[in-house]
Amino acid sequence: MFEHDDDALNRMIDRLREPVEMDPRLDARVMARVASRGFRARAALVWEWLRRPRAVAISPIAGLGLAAAAALLVWALPAHSPQTVTPPAADVTPVQFVVVAPGAESVSLVGDFNDWDARLTPMRADRDGRLWTVTIPLPAGRHRYAFLVNGARWLADPSAPRAPDDFGTPSSVVTVGG
Amino acid sequence: MTTVHRVASLALAATLLVTGVARAQDPRLLHRLDSTTLAAVGALLDSARTAELPVEPLVQRALEGAAKHAEPDRIVAAVRRLAGELGVARDALGRESSPAELDAGASALRAAVRPEDLTLLRQRRTQSLTVALAALTDLVVGGVPPDSAAAAVLALAARARDDQIADFRRAVERDIALGATPAAAAAVRVDATLHEVTNAAANPNTPRKP
Repeated sequence: MFEHDDDALNRMIDRLREPVEMDPRLDARVMARVASRGFRARAALVWEWLRRPRAVAISPIAGLGLAAAAALLVWALPAHSPQTVTPPAADVTPVQFVVVAPGAESVSLVGDFNDWDARLTPMRADRDGRLWTVTIPLPAGRHRYAFLVNGARWLADPSAPRAPDDFGTPSSVVTVGG
Repeated sequence: MTTVHRVASLALAATLLVTGVARAQDPRLLHRLDSTTLAAVGALLDSARTAELPVEPLVQRALEGAAKHAEPDRIVAAVRRLAGELGVARDALGRESSPAELDAGASALRAAVRPEDLTLLRQRRTQSLTVALAALTDLVVGGVPPDSAAAAVLALAARARDDQIADFRRAVERDIALGATPAAAAAVRVDATLHEVTNAAANPNTPRKP
């Protein structure tokens, strides 16, 4: 009885140990089915993973660090104010600025249209290095500006009205209609 | 309240405090002004916001001072003075005035134009006042007596377009450069411009000057 059962069992084991002949296209079919589940199915899995509540342990010092990092991030990001938004192209007018500065190594146009930052609007010299020009789009309004020669000498625009001087250096104004 | 809760509350309060202070300042000023000047200018900006005055011209004046390496006291004084002028301009031009109009009005006041003339200009002109105020200011800065300049621009205000007012200002400046007295140049040119405005109204198909 037992030997007979053992024989049967061994045969079954041997049978099970025989390599299975698999359809060579099985892998391709499985991958095709996985792909057919599509983006929505995978997104649902991700969403489910994100929604599942978890207990997060954090030390007080790490909490303070995260708060400080968040504060630094907000501090470093520029504030969004309606007055700092770049106006749409339809509301601006190209304005050419020209100044004679023979022998200058660099000339910048600096004004309230570029936050008085001398790095932002460098002017280009003609072949002789005498006439420096730049054309920029300006929104409607009255704009104060000046030319900065060689990063040190401020010049008013001789062809434009002078602006009232608050700082002991000359500035000019240009008015763009609107 | 547990220690964790206390620490968390402290962290939250610190975050709100730091972000609140950062938001009260204009970020463009943070790296351009020293801390003392920044605090003083920040207080002026806050006052301007409370008074519903445009803040951008004040920020730009502070940035101009920083770019020109002006003394801190001078920067604060310039911003304070401009804030006062913007307030007077708003009173004269009305609360519905645009920031550009208030900025131009403040410049006109600085040039010694009377607030009453700004109010008259608002009453006479339905279009934006920015170009008219700028022309008025430039005429006075160019030597035309404030009363004469105001009379000329007020005469044009009701009917002249912005480009006609700008042309008028340029013509006066040319005449002055050629030797005319500023008051005479303004008087002559305002008559010519009024004539042109009348003709343009009578013959609307006449092409404009380029």
